[in-house]
Amino acid sequence: MAANDAVGRVERPGLFRAVAAAMAAIAVALPILGGPMADGPAGISPYFANIIGQIATFALLAIAVDLIWGYAGILSLGHGLFFAFGGYLVAMHMLKAGYVYDGVTPDVMTFMGWTELPVHWFGLEFFPYALILIFALPGLLAFAYGYFSFRSRVAGVYFAIITQALTYVAMLLMFRNDTGFGGNNGMTGFTKVLGFDVGADSTIVGLATASVVITLGIYLGCGRLMRSPFGRILIAIRDEEDRLRFLGYDTLWPKLAVWTLSAMIAAIAGALYVPQVGIINPKLLSPELSIEIAVWVALGGRGALAGAVIGAVLISALKFWLTGFAPDLWPFILAGVVLLIVITLPNGLLDLRLPRLRAAPAPAGGAASGAAAEVGQGG
Amino acid sequence: MHRRSVIKGLGAAALGATASSLPLPGLIRRAHAADTVKIGCLFSSSGTMANIEGRLNYVARMAAEEINAAGGVLGKTVEVVVTDPGSDWPLYAQLGRQLISQEEVASIFGCWTSVSRKSVLPVVEQSDALLYYPLHFEGEENSKNVVYLNSPPSSSVLPAVDYLMSEEGGSAKRFFMLGSDYVWPRTINQQLKGYWGEKGIGADAWREEYVPVGHSNFQTLVNEIRAFADQPGGQPIVVLTVVGNSIPDFFREFVNQGIAAFDVPVLGLDAVEADFEGLDTSELVGHLNCWAYLQNAAGSRNEEFLANWASYVGANDVPFRPDVAIDPMVSTYDGVHLWAMAAEKAGSFDVPAVREASAGLTFACPSGYEISMTAENNYVKRGVFIGSLNETQGYDILWQSEDTPTPVPFSPYMNT
Amino acid sequence: MARRLALLISLICLALPGGAAALDRVAILAEICSEDFRAQQSALESLAGAGADNGREGAVWARAVVEGFEGRDLRCGADGAYIEGPEGLVSAETLARAAPEGDLSAPSVNLRLRATAASAGFVLALFTEDSIEARLRAAGRLDRRREAVSAPVLAAALEIERDPAIAAVIVEIRTSLLLGDPDPARRIEAIGAIATDATLRNRTTIAEALENESDPSVRAAAEAALAEIDRTLAIGKALATLYSGVSYASVLLLAALGLAIIFGLMGVINLAQGELIMVGAYATYFTQELIRIVLPGALDWYLFLAIPVSFGAAALVGIVIEATVIRRLYARPLMTLLATWAISLLLINAVRVGIGTQNLEFHQPAYVSGGFPVIGDFIMTSNRLFAIAIAIAAFFAVLALIRFTTLGINMRAVTQNRAMAGAAGIDTRRTDRLAFGLGSGLAGLAGLALSPLYNVNPTMGTGFIVDSFMVVVLGGVGSLAGAVVAAFGIGQINVAIEPVYGAVAAKVIVLLLVILFIQRRPEGLFAPKGRR
Repeated sequence: MAANDAVGRVERPGLFRAVAAAMAAIAVALPILGGPMADGPAGISPYFANIIGQIATFALLAIAVDLIWGYAGILSLGHGLFFAFGGYLVAMHMLKAGYVYDGVTPDVMTFMGWTELPVHWFGLEFFPYALILIFALPGLLAFAYGYFSFRSRVAGVYFAIITQALTYVAMLLMFRNDTGFGGNNGMTGFTKVLGFDVGADSTIVGLATASVVITLGIYLGCGRLMRSPFGRILIAIRDEEDRLRFLGYDTLWPKLAVWTLSAMIAAIAGALYVPQVGIINPKLLSPELSIEIAVWVALGGRGALAGAVIGAVLISALKFWLTGFAPDLWPFILAGVVLLIVITLPNGLLDLRLPRLRAAPAPAGGAASGAAAEVGQGG
Repeated sequence: MHRRSVIKGLGAAALGATASSLPLPGLIRRAHAADTVKIGCLFSSSGTMANIEGRLNYVARMAAEEINAAGGVLGKTVEVVVTDPGSDWPLYAQLGRQLISQEEVASIFGCWTSVSRKSVLPVVEQSDALLYYPLHFEGEENSKNVVYLNSPPSSSVLPAVDYLMSEEGGSAKRFFMLGSDYVWPRTINQQLKGYWGEKGIGADAWREEYVPVGHSNFQTLVNEIRAFADQPGGQPIVVLTVVGNSIPDFFREFVNQGIAAFDVPVLGLDAVEADFEGLDTSELVGHLNCWAYLQNAAGSRNEEFLANWASYVGANDVPFRPDVAIDPMVSTYDGVHLWAMAAEKAGSFDVPAVREASAGLTFACPSGYEISMTAENNYVKRGVFIGSLNETQGYDILWQSEDTPTPVPFSPYMNT
Repeated sequence: MARRLALLISLICLALPGGAAALDRVAILAEICSEDFRAQQSALESLAGAGADNGREGAVWARAVVEGFEGRDLRCGADGAYIEGPEGLVSAETLARAAPEGDLSAPSVNLRLRATAASAGFVLALFTEDSIEARLRAAGRLDRRREAVSAPVLAAALEIERDPAIAAVIVEIRTSLLLGDPDPARRIEAIGAIATDATLRNRTTIAEALENESDPSVRAAAEAALAEIDRTLAIGKALATLYSGVSYASVLLLAALGLAIIFGLMGVINLAQGELIMVGAYATYFTQELIRIVLPGALDWYLFLAIPVSFGAAALVGIVIEATVIRRLYARPLMTLLATWAISLLLINAVRVGIGTQNLEFHQPAYVSGGFPVIGDFIMTSNRLFAIAIAIAAFFAVLALIRFTTLGINMRAVTQNRAMAGAAGIDTRRTDRLAFGLGSGLAGLAGLALSPLYNVNPTMGTGFIVDSFMVVVLGGVGSLAGAVVAAFGIGQINVAIEPVYGAVAAKVIVLLLVILFIQRRPEGLFAPKGRR
């Protein structure tokens, strides 16, 4: 028995399409209501557009985690690593471009006493090159790391803990000033993105729209992929990896493929996120963020991309709203919601209107032996 | 309205609500009362910074109450909007944006760490808003959208080190610089090294070590400080730029390894009374700090301020000690008053007008100095104190500057 | 001007050996009150000699003034100086009760003056202190501040000293003052005296003397002494590193022990483990406050009295968590991860809102404060020793519990084969609950042991979580011995790297090593045999 207990987590086509339609509607409405009609009665302020854009990147991040956790049954508590990876790369691109084209000296140069940017910043002012790196580097890291982990059959909670430790290590490294990526202060002071002024209302709306569109595209693409035979193999790995292996499938490569894909999607999310918030700092690598991503997915419903998107949107919107108006209440509400849903709705919010496919809860002993078996996976 | 939407949100969340019923920030439209003006606070009341940063929210409120009691600003009542960035740096930017564009605050008071200020900086610059920043910091920045209420190193750290190198201050000859690994400590140490270099003190007279932010195990480093102190070359001191909870952890180890303040004094540049709340300071008597305000500052302005704070804490059930006042509290307090004075002088809450009116303002700071703002930049001229830790977790004043040194935003010692 | 001159003359008189038959109390107090740093300095120095020249009564007075000055209890007024005593003001001149006229001010005490006053206080303690222990302590302190004493003063102290141990220390200090003596034999003697205490500080003193030394026999003696000190220092350094490693390991072990049980037995990833440590620390605090009220005399022993309280409080919280949340999630271990994360969030914020974010203040009894020198410059700090002791005790208690009690047998059975244990009639649910309680209680105990080491505040637990999971995973799930070895290994490697590459690099390297190791050997160091 694999790390995933509940059965019946299937994408519901209706819901999937509804979420896609909602995203498409936002993608169309955003440039109109946030652009020419911003001052109208239904206008969207740049501030609100920016929030929509950020939430879209969170949704993308949740999709990435859902692929690996919901479909392949591998919980990663390290997706903050890939998210931040993409974010740092795009930040470097923006700083380098600002430096080369507009002569804006990045803070990091002042504080490190550099007269010019070190060699690993070479060529980053070219967006296509930066884009390639955003795909390639996190992908490579994920591939290498995944290869060793999956080959050694590190699984279940072990994998979760080790990915968290890896992210933590990255955080410690990035906090170091001498690592050369701005240390604790991270990177900030971006002026332009792709030649557009970062602070301009049109750029804000444009970035937000781009985020929604890209998220929608990846959402549709992943949905398709998960309905393909590849997706079925992943679900089989999630539910009975041993049996699959016994039947002659090499599970290493499908796992590695989805893991690498997931990391790359997280990196894209990070690359979209950073220009919108205007800062990247090692805090993105803290264990809390990575756990929070898992919370979004668990709340929305694992194994269904629509659920992941709904979870991410709900929780982050709630967070934006409450940290501004009732900061004291937010942690209590978050904790309460997590506990409530984890206990009462095994599949997250998707359970709400889902006919109970699940049989009566397994008897305690049997359930517990499942847990023991799952722990044994590591061995 | 506000309260009801909170309750509604609560209920919605508890029921595991669907997207449609969720009120989002941009959709909240509240009537702006014509007779109030809002100012925003960006200080964390949760997360790692909560213990020291959280109290600034209350000081801002207290200052606003004082102003309101005196008739408000331009006939309007000042309303303080408090947020909680939760020690999460991007959230400072986010909430800063929210304060500016949703709450339409006239000015923002916020940030403790440099990184949080760096996070908000683009936001205030883009919307031409005004951030009052109450902490001493590394300098090397001069934005027209930030009022730097506290001192850069040139007007705080260097005078303090000068004193320690004088005969009266103990003739310090050798320096162990221990800091948290980020820009503020590194910049200060960089400037100190440049300064010493200019005075002919060679590189063999100092050592520089950094620990991660939040580091707690100082065994090895205190061992090394002892070894450094026992080597020849004259009186050693420690220039401590670790921050937050590393400060009590460091001192605990320092005392336990039996080092007395008069053997190796520690100049804790970020150490405030609040850092010693969990420590018995009787063995730590004599260690130093350096700020633009100390609680023991003489004068009736200070007595008044302390009394107000104590009664404010009592009356409002503030979760902080009524008998502890630290520099950033006073800086925030000064900031709110300076803003109110500037708005009054300008006759408007518009940022450009307020900024222009700020030039030349003076205010009787609780520190006892008449602090002032110049026309050239947004730095505030403050006095400098060196404090000596006493048995009751407070700092006695060991030395204070004659007048208010002029802050220099960009240090000449950075690239030496 | 004239006053200055008079001062100067009186100073010269005081400095002359034997020249001051009686201290001019008024003049000295005037100097101390003068706000002239140099005058204050020399007045304090002359007070240090009071014991030698003025007998016991003079020394008692001088000490009162010096300590009053150092403790900032000295007050200066227009009509003289006063000392703020426990029963009100006394005249600094006569030490009799007095009522001043006019305003009083406290002279400023800077670092230099404080050092001089402290040294003077130690010298005067030799003349005035009745308790042998206190005199010995003062003599020991003087040994580190030889520049502050003079041979005649030491001779006078030696004359009245009856205790041989203290006399020996005084002789040693006096001998070490001979380093500048014209007679080479005396210098060699001084080097020997200094070298008896092999510290880096003494090494520096000898090495400096060696630089200006021309006499070959003295040079040889100095070089031999240096070599001897270097050997001792090296041993001390090695021991200090070992001690740092062990103490760090004990912290890791304390944090991980409870987790090893919870994770090992039930496969529950308890992310609230750090918060249970926090609960234990807060329970310790409240025990302290209770004892302060109920039984003030026993305050020093609160850490021991709090052992059952901290264990019990955390165990109770743990059992409540198990009964309300974990119980429903045994089939879904990854969900327990999220649920316990939510619980940790809840606990942190409940404490934050309910009690506050400030660091709690703990009384530090003698057994957890300070330290004692062992060899060379190695100081064994008591608070860490306490944590090590608790860690060892907790480990053996758990080992015994698992080996010898019914609960332990049940726990082992359930760990090895849950279904079979159930079939054999073991109430696995009850065993789970008790084991969870035990694991939580151990975290509470960790909170107690760590309270003299770390800041106690709502977020204190968050820093432990990654480290303690690393210990458990590296050690091998379910293996207590593995946890010990892992904690010790991580601790030692960490302190070995730290001085070379810095604290961050040490942590990074250690974590990467652990991650690599787990890739090679996912079951950890001590894997339970067979697949469960």
